[in-house]
Amino acid sequence: MTHTSPVVIVGAGTAGISAAVELAQAGIHSIVLDEAPKIGGAVFRGPYREAIELPHLDSKLRKKISNIRQQYHEHQAFIELRLNTRVLGPAGKSSLLVRHKEEVSELSYEELIIATGCHERSVPFDGWQMPGVMLLGGVQLQLKSGLVKPGQKMAVVGTGPLLPLVACQLFKAGVEVLGVYEAGKFSDFAKESRALLNRPVLALEGMGMLSYLKANAIPMHYGQGIVSVSGEGNLKKAHFAKYTDDWYPIEGTGTSLELDCLAVGYGFVSRNQLSQLFQLEHDVCPISGLKPKIDTWQKSSQENIYIAGDSVGILGGEGAMVEGRIAALSIAQTRQKVTSEQANSKADDYFTLLQKVKSFRAGFDRIGRRREGLLSLLKPNTIVCRCENVTRSDIDDVIEQGVKDITSLKMRTRAGMGDCQGKTCNSYCQDRLGHELKNPDVGHIKPRFPLDPIPFSALSDGVQL
Amino acid sequence: MSTKTNKKYDIVIAGGGVIGAACAYFLSKEKDLKIALVDLKKPGNASRASAGGLWAIGESVGLGCGVIFFNRMTMQQADATGEDLPPMRPHVLPDYFFEFALKSNAMYPALWQELKDKHGVDFKFEKTGLKYVMYDEYDKMYADSIVDHIPGLIDQVSWLSAEELAEDEPYINKKSIGALEFKCDHQVNPYRLNEAYLEAARQNGVELFLETEVLSIEKRGNKVIGVETDAGFIACDTLINAAGSWAAQLSKMATGIELPVYPVKGQIILSERLPKILKGCVSTTDCYIAQKDNGEVLIGSTTEEKGFDTTNTLPELKELVNGAVKCIPMLNDLNIKRCWAGLRPGTPDEFPILGEMEGVEGYINACGHFRTGILTSAITGKLINDLYRGLPLDMDITPFKYSRFLKPKEDTSEDSKMIEDALV
Ligand SMILES: Cc1cc2nc3c(=O)[nH]c(=O)nc-3n(C[C@H](O)[C@H](O)[C@H](O)COP(=O)(O)OP(=O)(O)OC[C@H]3O[C@@H](n4cnc5c(N)ncnc54)[C@H](O)[C@@H]3O)c2cc1C
Ligand SMILES: Cc1cc2nc3c(=O)[nH]c(=O)nc-3n(C[C@H](O)[C@H](O)[C@H](O)COP(=O)(O)OP(=O)(O)OC[C@H]3O[C@@H](n4cnc5c(N)ncnc54)[C@H](O)[C@@H]3O)c2cc1C
Repeated sequence: MTHTSPVVIVGAGTAGISAAVELAQAGIHSIVLDEAPKIGGAVFRGPYREAIELPHLDSKLRKKISNIRQQYHEHQAFIELRLNTRVLGPAGKSSLLVRHKEEVSELSYEELIIATGCHERSVPFDGWQMPGVMLLGGVQLQLKSGLVKPGQKMAVVGTGPLLPLVACQLFKAGVEVLGVYEAGKFSDFAKESRALLNRPVLALEGMGMLSYLKANAIPMHYGQGIVSVSGEGNLKKAHFAKYTDDWYPIEGTGTSLELDCLAVGYGFVSRNQLSQLFQLEHDVCPISGLKPKIDTWQKSSQENIYIAGDSVGILGGEGAMVEGRIAALSIAQTRQKVTSEQANSKADDYFTLLQKVKSFRAGFDRIGRRREGLLSLLKPNTIVCRCENVTRSDIDDVIEQGVKDITSLKMRTRAGMGDCQGKTCNSYCQDRLGHELKNPDVGHIKPRFPLDPIPFSALSDGVQL
Repeated sequence: MSTKTNKKYDIVIAGGGVIGAACAYFLSKEKDLKIALVDLKKPGNASRASAGGLWAIGESVGLGCGVIFFNRMTMQQADATGEDLPPMRPHVLPDYFFEFALKSNAMYPALWQELKDKHGVDFKFEKTGLKYVMYDEYDKMYADSIVDHIPGLIDQVSWLSAEELAEDEPYINKKSIGALEFKCDHQVNPYRLNEAYLEAARQNGVELFLETEVLSIEKRGNKVIGVETDAGFIACDTLINAAGSWAAQLSKMATGIELPVYPVKGQIILSERLPKILKGCVSTTDCYIAQKDNGEVLIGSTTEEKGFDTTNTLPELKELVNGAVKCIPMLNDLNIKRCWAGLRPGTPDEFPILGEMEGVEGYINACGHFRTGILTSAITGKLINDLYRGLPLDMDITPFKYSRFLKPKEDTSEDSKMIEDALV
């Protein structure tokens, strides 16, 4: 078969652009689609990006990522960038349904690379919906905009390397940071030091941030986490406690802080709606949710569909870049633009780096693995699904009725049927049902097709008669 | 190998769509039988994909899902023979189907009450009527012809003039010339109906093996003795095949015979949630439209033989959208929230396959409900229960038995020939 049509790439983040560049280097054209108005993905989201320091990235990588735009420009002849373009799902076999402004059309592909990134995991607790409670990404966005501070007095709670980073960023922006609460135990970090040293520079930068926090008298509390927040209308107080090994708050260890904003980050979920709509095979991943099955070349269960970056498991920028490049190499090889020797010798370096990144990440993943105690932070009347106003006790009821899979739970409670498509509540529903059934595989809330609403007028020939 | 569960059941129901669930509910009402229901939701399972119309007359005279089905068949016919398109004539099903559909329809008000009162589940039964909206004189001829065919049901139909229609349904295209309404055709929320049957059955003691697939069927001689599942072996005296579009695979394993049941794909469009814009359900010759209990407007549906494919395709979606916008112009300014495709369990004569099969013991069919399984689930559950218990049946099910496919064809009416040509 002769391939003349461009490779189609969904996502102009680190993974997508890296794939396009690698393809270009092999002389292969690509079309890169992104709903955002700029390239760069999650790291560069929001205005004034260039000025942002990303202190937990090593300087080499920082350069590589900020190089993304430059790399794109260097290979522009081969890359057709279509921004403000949302992929809504598959249309029949080997086509995408795509929306640009008011226009909905089909785009056919021979090979597809899905590089759609991730979003933050929302963990509900008593009071989580109160204005002033924010996810880390939202906090970062406001900081990056440089216009408004998310709050005057803040704390950061959750797990993972982003916590100290955001705390440093907040402090630099002039926010009074009252404390950082990391659910993982200090001893766990010590135990994982070996894994973390797979990326020594990253580890050192992490240490650097910790000493920065110390120097500025920002306490870092290990093995502690959120219990609830309170206030009238707006956030006034946040209540923390020591966590058991299973992350249940230990009674009598509670502390409360008066603050006006709380940054919460309990990890990320892969954006896998597209891979689900394509009915690719998936594994259940306790860290990033549903994970499309891929081979070592990032190839999915479908011959001509590849997946790279956060959408196939959260590894950070370096991992995303390498995965994008590996997928591209594999396509170049199938298209006989590079020999298998060439591909293999190039890919060897990528595989080695990817392995190190994975070992590094696995350390954090072991520490930050969500535990069942988080499920105890809801009161019976705590809202789980805010689109459809489903409370914890609604969920209790259907579990009592013997619901065995997430779809039935959704059909009976309407949790996840609202406009956000379960982005917010799915994590809790999934974890809760899995916990009750002692089986993490409870199925998944299937994404809607199309991924966003589209106007009838985009498909109609106008009103007739 | 799998572990043998030491439980033995009187009945195992394979398939937990609306048909399997209805059987489970009716069979468990007396709470005297040990029943297990085994279901794995396969992509495209019909009950969750359905529109939820209880269009007993509408579907029996070829409106609703039917209208598109017969439109397409007529076109294919004309294509194949090179003839001009014949004027559209309604496709009216035989009396025994009317009886089946109407009897089932009549059960819903009481069933709704019963499931709410006794089991605390609500499948959102709504009295809506079904209006066939007419745009021109051909549509009117079509409607006249329908009425001619159903003299016995005259008290269930009413004609609406253009003005009456405009008053009743102000959002329907003002250029429509009127409507023919079927007063007894209503709607439910289909997935809630499915879940309601299941939950009520569970409360009555039925054991639900959800997310569980029937992998093979064990027999001793010509008798079914159990099913192998991914949750282990489940022994039983009787197996009910309610596997929807997958029924042929199951019957093959149980009886050696592949039932003539195959998937017929239907695509559906759902709008964003809207304030009440439709009082009743609507069918035109392009599509049907129903506003569901939560305000979303549902538009269906295509009729496609594409195997087990469940993708949505732009040309077909556009057809539906154009049909809907023509009928309710304001939709053009609103949003589509979701599209999907489901697989109707079709049969060559479009009637279900119910009851035992000669030469096999401990096996009952409850499948092939094509485009009316939501509507006819109630009567199906009741008939299967009565059949199992040897009670007198509410109606003769001979026309729905598998053996009808074995008999030499006597029925040579034009319609059935047309179906054969189109489907075989
Ligand atoms: C909130 C947040 C903050 C982060 N902060 C940092 C940080 O400070 N430092 C760090 O190193 N890493 C950070 N990360 C992780 C880092 O972004 C990733 O590991 C890496 O950059 C991911 O690259 P990617 O290409 O896989 O995804 P992304 O860079 O996220 O790119 C995915 C792109 O796909 C597009 N897309 C998705 N779906 C569609 C669709 N249907 N149609 C069209 N376009 C679509 C998105 O718009 C996006 O641009 C953060 C991640 C998140 C979510
Ligand atoms: C688009 C569309 C619109 C429709 N609109 C209407 C309408 O308005 N009114 C109406 O009355 N009808 C309508 N129908 C038809 C109706 O939905 C079907 O007739 C009905 O749902 C059939 O129910 P079922 O239980 O036989 O099949 P299904 O709902 O498909 O259930 C069969 C179940 O068995 C499972 N299964 C199969 N094999 C196995 C196995 N080996 N092990 C375990 N489980 C198995 C399947 O996965 C499935 O869950 C519509 C159908 C479609 C597709």
